[in-house]
Amino acid sequence: MSSQLAPTTASSATTPAGRARRRGRRLTTRQVRLLFLAPAALFLVLFSLFPLLQLLRMSVSDVTAATLNREWVFTGLENFRQSFVGGEGADALTRTGIFVLVVTLLGMVLGLAAAIALRTKGRWSAALLALMVFVWALPPVVNGSVWKFLLGDRGLFNTIVLGLGLREDPMPFLYDQYWALMSVAFVNSFAVIPFNALVFRAGLMNIPPETFEAAALDGATKWQEVRHVMLPAVRPTTLVLLVLTIVYGFRSFDFIYVMTYGGPGTATNTLPFLGYLQAFARYDFGLGAATSVVTVLGVLVLAAVYARSIRREEAES
Amino acid sequence: MNHQKAGPVTTSVKALLTLMYGVPILWIVLTSFKSSQDVFNTQSSIIFRPVITAYVDALDGALADALLQSVLIATGTTAFVLLIAIPAAYGLARTKRWVTTLGLGLLIVLQMMPQTATVIPLFQIFGDWSLLDRTVGVIIADTALLTPFATLLLRPFFRAVPRELEEAGAIDGASTLRTFWSVVLPVARNGAFTVGTLVFLLAWGEFLYAVNFFLSPGSYPLSALLAQQVSAFGIDWPGLMALAVLTSIPILLVFTATYRLLRDGLTVGAVK
Repeated sequence: MSSQLAPTTASSATTPAGRARRRGRRLTTRQVRLLFLAPAALFLVLFSLFPLLQLLRMSVSDVTAATLNREWVFTGLENFRQSFVGGEGADALTRTGIFVLVVTLLGMVLGLAAAIALRTKGRWSAALLALMVFVWALPPVVNGSVWKFLLGDRGLFNTIVLGLGLREDPMPFLYDQYWALMSVAFVNSFAVIPFNALVFRAGLMNIPPETFEAAALDGATKWQEVRHVMLPAVRPTTLVLLVLTIVYGFRSFDFIYVMTYGGPGTATNTLPFLGYLQAFARYDFGLGAATSVVTVLGVLVLAAVYARSIRREEAES
Repeated sequence: MNHQKAGPVTTSVKALLTLMYGVPILWIVLTSFKSSQDVFNTQSSIIFRPVITAYVDALDGALADALLQSVLIATGTTAFVLLIAIPAAYGLARTKRWVTTLGLGLLIVLQMMPQTATVIPLFQIFGDWSLLDRTVGVIIADTALLTPFATLLLRPFFRAVPRELEEAGAIDGASTLRTFWSVVLPVARNGAFTVGTLVFLLAWGEFLYAVNFFLSPGSYPLSALLAQQVSAFGIDWPGLMALAVLTSIPILLVFTATYRLLRDGLTVGAVK
């Protein structure tokens, strides 16, 4: 089953005769194949690209709830200035950086650790992997709700902390200025670890058993096995996965929405969520659009890095 | 093959992960069977008298409406995405020109686009086009959100279909469309199933578009209902967890049916 699911690069071994045959009807076939792209292209132009253009227009205009579907007054870079020069946008940018760092670090390290631990055969590993993928597949609202409950004043963690007498009062996991961002970042990594573990595991499964046998014969320790056999095996996918995890942390909003709604105060306002709040909680659509345009620029940079890293990986394999 | 034997480090990592992923699931289910008094009583964390009050309270007409909305949105989005992403992925797998490079680059950018950025202009555009407060509007928005991801994940499955198969079909005089339908698609059906399942799961959980494009909670799907209740003050935890369980049951069904496909197919998009 797995071999069917892991596509290899398309075979390019065509005979000269085959090439000649195709040349005869190349034009029509090519045109037909372009037609295959048409529905998706049309749809995305209408509902993805056009909205982005509108976002850009909105970001340089004065748009409020009242003027949303009327004529917009052009205000130049005023919205950007308001959001980022000494404004909350600059703080949100720093917060986003910390958030992405925590999510990426935990997501990559624990993802790899999980993959290595789950490589072992047996019922426990199989059941645990299934459990993790199931949790990954659950809607973020469900995971977010549970963690909001677990981290609450009378949730499981505080019950343990108070029960052991470690503290007098409950830990303010979700409403302390600093804890809140860390808590949400932790739950975000919790949600991404299963996926990262699956990707790393796929890399580890490709190692031939003989390699491990040879390592064992040479008297390699567990750590040396990880360092010299497993890490090189996952190296090609690591870069791609790293970029994906960074993007995941960068654009994340669902756990913030469910667990803290950007609070307490502005403590969990990351850049994407700040843009959303400015537009839909304060009805300043122009300001929200400006903040979101900066988010989009960040995504463009990451997308360029991602495209380069896949190309490099494809060239290596 | 003794390298598979677990050492102490491996065992502790597994124990940690089992706690980390098992406890939340256990906790949702336990809490959903508690009475409101028991939830905050530390004596009854594990041992309590199970009640189904939360479920009885949750199961009313509004829930049935929300469930119907979820089903409509998730199946509608899955059908719509597959309808346009499958041909697009095939087209991109088989042409090698600037169109492909441009298309792939664009899809990568769109796949990464934060939803909080797209919800702002879509809200305005849907207002103009009378798509607000309508299920079809949310389906369209979800389709636009998930098509880039679906196309990129489908493409390697189509690239894996041997060209010889298609050429054989072409010699028989079948048109490109016919070859695609009766030769290529059956070979790549695993990919279509995997991607279809993922799109369904993601559309089932989507709530930001639903919360903003539906103007009243009466038309919310389950995910949006849950998002609205959890960010409100004075949360009724058993009720909320019952709602979370009910929202997750369809996911459990889909997951049980497709776990192997997900486990092996998920990694394709990231690796290729």
